[in-house]
Amino acid sequence: MKDFLWLIPTLPFLGACILIISGNANLPRRAVSIVGCGSVGAAAILTIVIMIDFLTTGQIPEYTVIVNWFSVDNLSVPIALHLDTLSLVFVFVITFVGFLIHVYSIEFMHHDESFARFFAYLNLFVSAMLMLVLADSLILMYLGWEGVGLCSYLLIGFWYEEEKNGYAARKAFIITRIGDTALAVGLFMLFAELGTLRIQDILTLAPQQWATGSTTPVTICLLLLGGAVGKSAQFPLQTWLPDAMAGPSPVSALIHAATMVTAGVYLIARMNGLYVLAPQAQLWVGIVGAITLLIAGCSALTQYDLKRVLAYSTISQIGYMFLALGIGAWSSAVFHFMIHAFFKALLFLAAGAVIMALHHEHDMFKMGGLRKQMPAVFATFLIGSASLAALPLISAGFYSKDQIIWLSFASQQSNIWFFLAAVVGAFITAIYTFRMVFLTFYGEAKTSVSHMPGNLITQPLVILAVLALFAGFIELPHTFGHVTLFSDLFSTTLPPVTLRPNVESHEWIIQTSTGLLTLVGIAMAYYFYVIQPKIADDIHASTIETHRFWYAGWRFDSLYDAIIVKPILFFARVNKHDFIDKLYSALVELSEMMSALFSRSQNGILRWYIMGIVAGAVIIITFTLIITP
Amino acid sequence: MTLNLFYFLSFLAVLSALMVVFSKNPVYSVLYLIITFFTIAGHYILLDAQFLAVVHVIVYAGAIMVLFLYVIMLLNLNRESEPHKSNILKFAAVICAGLLLVVLVGSLKGTEAIVQQSGKAGIGYVKTLGEVMFKEFLLPFEITSILLLAAMVGAVMLGKSEKTNDTI
Amino acid sequence: MNRSDLYSLTPLLILSSAAILNFFSISIKRNHKVIFAITVLSLIGDFIFLTSYSLYHQQHIDPLLVVDGFGIFNIGLILLTTLVVALMSYAYFEQREERKEEYYILLILAALGACIMVISKHFVSFFLGLEVLSVSLYSLIAYLRTRERSDEAGIKYLILAAFSSAFLLFGMSLIYATTGKMDFGGIGYYLTTTQDIPLIMMAGLGMLIVGAGFKLGVVPFHMWTPDVYEGAPTPVTAFIATVSKGGMIALLVRFFNAINGYQYESFTNLFTVLSIASMFVGNILALRQTNLKRILAYSSISHIGYLLVAFLSGGSMGAQATTFYLVAYFITTLGAFGIIATLSDQHRDAELIDDYRGLLWRRPLTAVAFSAMLLSLAGIPLTAGFIAKFYVITAGIGTQHWLLVFCLVVNSVIGLYYYIKIIAVMFDQKLQIKSAKELHPLVYVISSVTIAVLAVFLFWLGVSPEGMLSLIDDVI
Repeated sequence: MKDFLWLIPTLPFLGACILIISGNANLPRRAVSIVGCGSVGAAAILTIVIMIDFLTTGQIPEYTVIVNWFSVDNLSVPIALHLDTLSLVFVFVITFVGFLIHVYSIEFMHHDESFARFFAYLNLFVSAMLMLVLADSLILMYLGWEGVGLCSYLLIGFWYEEEKNGYAARKAFIITRIGDTALAVGLFMLFAELGTLRIQDILTLAPQQWATGSTTPVTICLLLLGGAVGKSAQFPLQTWLPDAMAGPSPVSALIHAATMVTAGVYLIARMNGLYVLAPQAQLWVGIVGAITLLIAGCSALTQYDLKRVLAYSTISQIGYMFLALGIGAWSSAVFHFMIHAFFKALLFLAAGAVIMALHHEHDMFKMGGLRKQMPAVFATFLIGSASLAALPLISAGFYSKDQIIWLSFASQQSNIWFFLAAVVGAFITAIYTFRMVFLTFYGEAKTSVSHMPGNLITQPLVILAVLALFAGFIELPHTFGHVTLFSDLFSTTLPPVTLRPNVESHEWIIQTSTGLLTLVGIAMAYYFYVIQPKIADDIHASTIETHRFWYAGWRFDSLYDAIIVKPILFFARVNKHDFIDKLYSALVELSEMMSALFSRSQNGILRWYIMGIVAGAVIIITFTLIITP
Repeated sequence: MTLNLFYFLSFLAVLSALMVVFSKNPVYSVLYLIITFFTIAGHYILLDAQFLAVVHVIVYAGAIMVLFLYVIMLLNLNRESEPHKSNILKFAAVICAGLLLVVLVGSLKGTEAIVQQSGKAGIGYVKTLGEVMFKEFLLPFEITSILLLAAMVGAVMLGKSEKTNDTI
Repeated sequence: MNRSDLYSLTPLLILSSAAILNFFSISIKRNHKVIFAITVLSLIGDFIFLTSYSLYHQQHIDPLLVVDGFGIFNIGLILLTTLVVALMSYAYFEQREERKEEYYILLILAALGACIMVISKHFVSFFLGLEVLSVSLYSLIAYLRTRERSDEAGIKYLILAAFSSAFLLFGMSLIYATTGKMDFGGIGYYLTTTQDIPLIMMAGLGMLIVGAGFKLGVVPFHMWTPDVYEGAPTPVTAFIATVSKGGMIALLVRFFNAINGYQYESFTNLFTVLSIASMFVGNILALRQTNLKRILAYSSISHIGYLLVAFLSGGSMGAQATTFYLVAYFITTLGAFGIIATLSDQHRDAELIDDYRGLLWRRPLTAVAFSAMLLSLAGIPLTAGFIAKFYVITAGIGTQHWLLVFCLVVNSVIGLYYYIKIIAVMFDQKLQIKSAKELHPLVYVISSVTIAVLAVFLFWLGVSPEGMLSLIDDVI
C-alpha cells in the first residue's frame, strides 16, 4: 500500500488545481462539489485502506521517497514522505474529518457566488496540511506549514467584501508569522548544528550530539515552541484565533478547530526526541499549555458570540494538549487531539447550522429554544458538548481528558500546579460548555428559524456525533476496562510516560473527583442559565470589570496594540519616505541610466557594429597576448 | 630574387588596398581591388600554388569584379551619391584599425622561432590538390556542394521578382 | 569511407536527401502542405534513426568528424529544435503572401550545417558547417522581403557574419601556421608538448574567440542580435537563438576539452570578462525595451553569459551544466518565439509589448504558457529554467568562480524585472479589441499543440529533471 501514499496529498492538490483553473464560472456546482469532495474522499478512502492494511498485518509503515527532485554533485533534493503511526492518526483525522466537512460545505456554501473558489481553497488546505504531517524533512514540513497558513488567511478572509473579515485574516496571518519566524530560526539552527533537516536523522543524531539539558537543544526547542505557539494559538500568541471566526463555519471547523491549529501539537510530538533532551523547554511547553487553558477558559465564560465561545474553548483544549506534551504524556496529547477534532468539528458544524438557520445570528442571547425546532442539530450539539465538557463515562472527551488530568498528577515531569490548572480548567470547561448549550437550545425562542438543515448537513453531524461518543473506548483507563489500543500504536514512535512511584492507587480518586467537578459545573450552568437566570445577571453586574476583562480575552489585544503596534506605527510614520529604500531606488535609477546609455550603442548603423567587433577583437587579442601562459 | 619580388608584390598589394579605401570614385576602388587580387595571385605563385593563383585570378579578378562593376554601373554610383560619414566615426575607425594593426604586429614577435615546415614538392599542382581533395578531404568537398546549394537557393529566392509567384 | 562511417553519417545524409527531395517537389508543383509534410517527416525519421545509436557510440571519421554520444545528443537536440521551428512555421507562413516553399529547404540545410558543426573535430569541417549554417541563415533572415526591416536585417547579418568569419579564418590560419595541424587533437597535442607557446598562436586563438563570440552574440559582438532578431521572421529568430548559438556552444565545449583550454588562465579570465559583460549589458539593455523580440534578443545575450559560467567551470560537471542549460534554454526560447509566431498576423509580428496587453483575458491558455516560458527564462522554481540555473550556480560554486556566481545572481534579479513586466502586461485587465483576420483554426492546431508540448516539457524538466540529467551524464 505504501506505493500509493503519495496519492494522499496529491489528490486534493489536483482537485485544487482543477478548481482554480476552471474558476467560478466554468464548472457547474455539482461538478465542483464532486471534484472538491471526491478528491478528499478518495484520499480518505486511501488512508483507511492503509490503516486497515497496517492494523491487519501489524507492520510498521515505513517511509517512501516519492521523487528525487534533482541531484547536483553531492547535493540531492528528495521529496520524501514519512508515514508512521503519529502521522497516520493525523492523516486519518485530516482526510476523514476533512471529507465530512467538505460534504457539509456543499450545502452550507450552496448559495455563495464563489462556490468553486471555496472548494479550491479547502482542497489546497487539505493538501498542504497532509504535506505538513507526512513530510519526511522539516523543510517539506515547513512548506506545508506555510501552505496551511496561507489557506487559513485566504479562508478567514473568504468574504472579503466585509472589511473586518479582511482585518481578521491579516491579523491571523501576521501573528502566526511571528511564530513562523521563530520556527524558521529554529530550523536554521538545527541545520547549522546537525547538517540535516530529515526528521529521522535529527532524532538519531541529536542524542549523540548533545547532552541532556545543554543549551543548544533547549534554545532550538524553545524556538520550535515559538512556532507551535503561533500556529496553535497558545499564550502569548492566542489572540488571532477568536477573530478568525470571521471565516465560514466549515472553515472554522476544519482549520481553526480540527486540523491546522493542532499543527503545533504535531510539531512538538514529532520532535519528541529533541524535547527529551531539553527538559527545561518541555517544562515551558507545559507552562504555556496550563496558562492558556485557564485564560482561554475564563474568556469563554463571558462570550456572547456562539462561535467565539467555541474558539476560546479550542484554545483551551489545545492548551490541554500542550500540557500533556509538557509532562511527557505524548500519546495522551495525540489522543486528545483526535477526540477533540471529532467533537470540536461537530460543535462548529452544528453551530454553523444554527447560525445559518437564524439568519446569520451569532449572539447566543438572541437564540434559545432551538431544542424543539432543530432536534437533530440539538442532539448532535449536545453530544459534542458532553464530549467537550468531558461528561464522565459516556463521552469520548472524558477518556481523553481524564487521561491528561490523571497524568498531570502522576507523571514524573509534572507538578502540583499543572494538576491544579488541569482540574480547574475541566471545571470551567463544563460551565461554559453548558452555558452555551442552555443559552442556545433552552429557554424561549428569540429568533425564528428560517432554514432547516438538509441531509448534507445532518449526516456529517451524525457521523461525527457517533465518533464523539464512542471513539473514546479505544483507550480506557486502568481503573475500568484498561484498553490501550490507541497508546499501543505509539509504542515505537513516541516515548512512554514515566509515572511517579506508587501513584496508581490514587487514580480512581482523581477520576471520581474530576467527574464530580464536571457534573457540578454542568449543574451550576443549569442553575444559572435555566432555573435562575437572574442570579447570572446579578453575578454579571457585580463582577462587571472582571467580565469585561475576560470578555476582551484578557485584553491581550490592547496590550499588544500599546507595546508593539503603536511603536511600529510611530516608526513607520517617522520613516515615511523610507530612506533605506532610497538605496534601492537609486540602484533602479542607475540601471535605467545605464540602459539609456547602452541603448545609444544600438543605433542600427552597420559601420558602428563593425567597429564594435574590431574593438572587441583588439581587446581580446591584447588580452591573450599580455597574459600569455 | 624571390625575396625582392615578394617585397615588390607586397608593397603593391598594400598600396592598392589603401587606394581601394581612399578612392572617392567607386569604379576606381574596384579597379584598385583588381590590382590587389593580381598581386595576391602573384604571392600564390611565389608560394608554389599555381592552381590557386589561376583560380584566384579567374574567379575574383575576373568574375566577381566584373559583377561589381556592372552593379556599380547600374546603380549609377558616383562621388555625389556617396553617403555622408561623420568625422567622429572616421576618427574612431582609424583608431580601431590602427590598434588592431599594432596588436597584430605585436603578436608577430617570436615568430622567427617557428620551424618552417617545408611542404612536399609540387604541393600546389592541380594533380596533388585533386588527390587530396578527392581522397582525404572528399567529405568536406561534398559539404561544399551543400554550401553552394544553400547559397544558390537563397540567392534565387531573394533575387526573383515577386510577380512570378507560382512558377519558378 | 567504410560502411560503419556511412552508418554514422546517415543522419546527415537523411537531412541532405530531404533538402533535395523538397527541391524536386517544388519543381513539380508548389504545395506548402506537401513540402511541410516532407520536412516534418524527414526530421522525425531522422530523429528516430538517431535513437538507434547507442549512447556510447563512438565513430571517428578521420580526420574531420567524430560521432560520439555528445555529438549524437546535440544532433538530436538540433533535429528536435528544427522540427519545432518547422511546426510553428506552418501557421506563420500560411497566412503570408510570399512563396513559402524554399523556406523549408533552407531550414533543413541550416540544420545540416549545425549538425556538421557539433560533430566536427577539425577546422575544415567546423568552418564548412558554420558557413552552411550562416549562408542558409542569410536568406532565411531576409525571407519576408516585403517587410521593411527584413532586408536590412539580412544584409546586416551577411556583412557582420562574413566579417567575423574572416577573423575565424585568420585565426585558424595563424594556428595552422604555428602548429601545422588543423584537427583539435593535434592542436591539443602541440599545446601540451610545447613549452613556449608563440604569441602568434595565442593571437590565433583570440581570433577564434572573436569569430565564435560573434555567433554566440556575446558582448562586445552582440550588436547584431536585436536588429536581426527583430527583422527576421519569428520562426527564423527562434532558430538563430537556439540552433545557431547552441551549435557553437557545443563546438566550443568540444574544442576546449580537446585543447584543455581550462588550464590557461588567460582564456578563463577572458571568458569571465565576456560572461560578466554579456550578463550585465544584455539585461540592462532589455530593461527599457518595448519590443518583445528585442527583449528576447537582449535576454538571449545575457543567457549566453549565464551559459559561459557553466562553460567556464569545465570538467564533466561544467559540460553537464552547459548541456542541461542548453536544453532548458532551447525549450523555453522555442516556446516564447512560438507564441509570438502564433499571435502574429499577416502584416506584422506580434512584437510590441502592447500587443500582449490583456492577453490573459483573450487567450488564457496562451498567456499561461507564455508566462511559464518567461518564468523559466527568469529561473523560477518548478520550471526547467530553475533547475538549469541552479545547476549552473552549483557548477560555478564547485569551481570557486565566486565573482561569476555573484554576477549571475545579481543579473537574475535584474532580469526578473522585465520578464515580470511582460507577465504583468498580459494580466492587465484593459481589454483591447483586435479585429485581425483569422485563419482557419485548424492551421493553429499544429502550433498550439507544439507549444503545449513544450510547456509540458518545461514543467516536466522542472519537476523531475533526473531523467534528463542522467541522460546527459551518460553522453558526456
